[in-house]
Amino acid sequence: MSDIRFSGVTRVFQRDGREFPTLAGIDLAVADREFVAIVGPSGCGKTTCLRMAAGLEFPTTGTVAVGGRIVESPGPERAVVFQQFALFPWKSVWDNIDFGLKCKGEPGAGRRARIEQIIGVMGLQGYESAFPHQLSGGMQQRVAIARAYVLEPDVLLMDEPFGALDAQTRTVMQEELVRLARVNPRTVLFITHAVDEAVYLADRVVVMTRRPGAIREIVDVASVRRAERWDRHERIEDVMDQESFVHLRTHIWRLLREQQARNDH
Amino acid sequence: MSARSGQAPLPRFEATGLWLAGLGGFFGLWTLVALSGAVSAQFLPSPWAVVERFGELARTPFVGHTIQEHLVSSIGRYLAGFGLAAMIGVPLGLMMGWFRGLDDAVTPLFEAIRFVAPIAWVPFAALWFGTGIGGPVLIIFMGAFPPALINAYRGAKFVEPRLIEAGRMLGASDLRMITQVLLPASVPSIVAGLRISAGLGWQSLVGAELIVASSGIGYLMVKGQSAISTATVMCGMIAIGVVGYAIDALLRAVEAHIHRRRGRNAR
Amino acid sequence: MQPGHSAAIGVATVVLALALWALFTTAIPWIDTARFPAPADVWAALTQITVQGYADARLWRHVAQSSVLVLTGFATACTVGVALGLAMGWSRRAEALLNPVFLLLRPIPPLAWIPLAIVWLGLGDAAKVLVIFMAAFVPAVINTYTGVRAMEPQIVEASSMLGARGPRFVREVLVPAAAPHIFTGLRLSLQASWTTLVAAELVGALYGLGQVLNNAAQDIYPGMILVGMVFVGLCGGLMTAVLGWVERRAMPWRAA
Repeated sequence: MSDIRFSGVTRVFQRDGREFPTLAGIDLAVADREFVAIVGPSGCGKTTCLRMAAGLEFPTTGTVAVGGRIVESPGPERAVVFQQFALFPWKSVWDNIDFGLKCKGEPGAGRRARIEQIIGVMGLQGYESAFPHQLSGGMQQRVAIARAYVLEPDVLLMDEPFGALDAQTRTVMQEELVRLARVNPRTVLFITHAVDEAVYLADRVVVMTRRPGAIREIVDVASVRRAERWDRHERIEDVMDQESFVHLRTHIWRLLREQQARNDH
Repeated sequence: MSARSGQAPLPRFEATGLWLAGLGGFFGLWTLVALSGAVSAQFLPSPWAVVERFGELARTPFVGHTIQEHLVSSIGRYLAGFGLAAMIGVPLGLMMGWFRGLDDAVTPLFEAIRFVAPIAWVPFAALWFGTGIGGPVLIIFMGAFPPALINAYRGAKFVEPRLIEAGRMLGASDLRMITQVLLPASVPSIVAGLRISAGLGWQSLVGAELIVASSGIGYLMVKGQSAISTATVMCGMIAIGVVGYAIDALLRAVEAHIHRRRGRNAR
Repeated sequence: MQPGHSAAIGVATVVLALALWALFTTAIPWIDTARFPAPADVWAALTQITVQGYADARLWRHVAQSSVLVLTGFATACTVGVALGLAMGWSRRAEALLNPVFLLLRPIPPLAWIPLAIVWLGLGDAAKVLVIFMAAFVPAVINTYTGVRAMEPQIVEASSMLGARGPRFVREVLVPAAAPHIFTGLRLSLQASWTTLVAAELVGALYGLGQVLNNAAQDIYPGMILVGMVFVGLCGGLMTAVLGWVERRAMPWRAA
């Protein structure tokens, strides 16, 4: 079991003796092998939620638990894919992917096989000895995803992973992620501000309010996806053409616009 | 967010405690060794004896002068050498940044001379100037000149092309371009260079005075050394450290001031 | 402008400078050769020091003496300095404990340690190594510390997420991340070591290039002074070049 459970999570940020609430009570349960995307206005605390699951930040009150255990520190069972990739510039592609396995103390032979496999899945063959700076942004993010996936983590935490990529690369990566999730499903928490991306990838989309962040609505995508058989379509643009897709997207857009409007007043 | 995420800042009392422990450990160990008698007081005076010696040096002349007078003559030489380095280095650097031919001609000679440590000029300094003021000034100059020139050069070389184009379009002459475009645009780089210059010049001064001088803090230290008076040597080190720190603090303040003003206007 | 053009001007200036030097010290004696040597004097001095020896030894012996001392002091200072810089950069406790002492010693220029080293350890090698150590230590610590502090927070987070800790973290994350700054520090350290050693040898030594300079100054021997200076420059330049080569080999990811 590797679910993620936010129970009454708040976060208060202190500066100059004043208190600024950034999260106002989050209750959310991500089921085992479920893909949940969080969208919301910038500064609403969505990234903070992900970092709490990763053990990089901590709630002021409430708890975040993964697989029933309260998160206290970062660890390889909760792999993070960062927006800016965060690859080690001094390590080759192979060594970047290998590093987490080495830290786990896995023996050499087993590591080799797993790295070769993930390099194949992510289409990184031929780049094993390249350094990150020699790769395009899209390739770098493939390495970052490979580095996370190779650990076979309980949960995968993705913080706007495609935010730094150009539109075309982004589309390719989204399709690849769907393919990867089919082959090897994981519990995923995915932060984005692209509504299309959220609806295309996620089983459920959590829409947050503006700061201090709270959950405005949780939109169920998985049932629509199954009912409308989106997986008949191989290409992202064909899925996005579906009336059901457009409907969901518009609904989420309206929720976000409502937050925006409140912001303007 | 700091690079040391996961490491919360230390609570204030712990930080202060460690800070005091560090300093206390240093001076405590020093005092302990000095008082234990394991090392004679001549070689390792206690911190307190050094302070007392400083008072003595301030009141009664040592090798001809009180410590203040030594300091004054050091600072005089320093200002002469550093001033000369800045006055020649900065304009030359700017011109090298502007005139391609001058750059090509001077750079190889400059690089060759720069490789020689400033202190290696001591024999020529002695030969040419004896123990007069020229010797130390030459050595300070050799220490302070390269960074002054290099930074002015870099500043001029990397001026935004659109500023130069604008100047050209308005028909500015070479002199005007240098004084009214390159110079103001390179001020941050020049000041950064002068700060390095000032530091290296101060170091070179100490070296020069150890060898070719008959007054100054370096001279005081060498004489303290021959008299095997560790306390005198340490007083010299303190004086040098304090003045060096003050020079750097002053130039840092100038730098910060310029950055603040630039921060609003330019960019 | 063609790329060869600048180099040609550079070579031309150097040749011209050498020619003017030869001209004004010999044919048109505007420069007093008692104050600055003629090319022939330099050549004579060079043959003397390489063949018969000068200041009690031949050239290679002086060069070896100085180089070995610099490398000893530099290596010790860098080992200690980098370790201390890593500790101070990474741990707030180590920083709080060590920083005040470091701030106290830091403004003292390396050359100012020379008299103290001589009082404590005499004119022998030990005093030289101490002085070089003090010179090389400060830049090594400061730059390593800066390198650690300049680490991208995400890199630190990624490494803790992947489970890196202990010696593996230091070896595979902390050191390579700080490596560019560490090498900047080492370059400054090496320059300071070399300058300081020459100064220390000028103040007093048995062998070494500084001692050659010192003897030449006392003998009023301009040719030998220039030979000494040239070799101080050459050795310093060679060491810097070697360090640059090591730097490129050590950080292959920064090439290209």
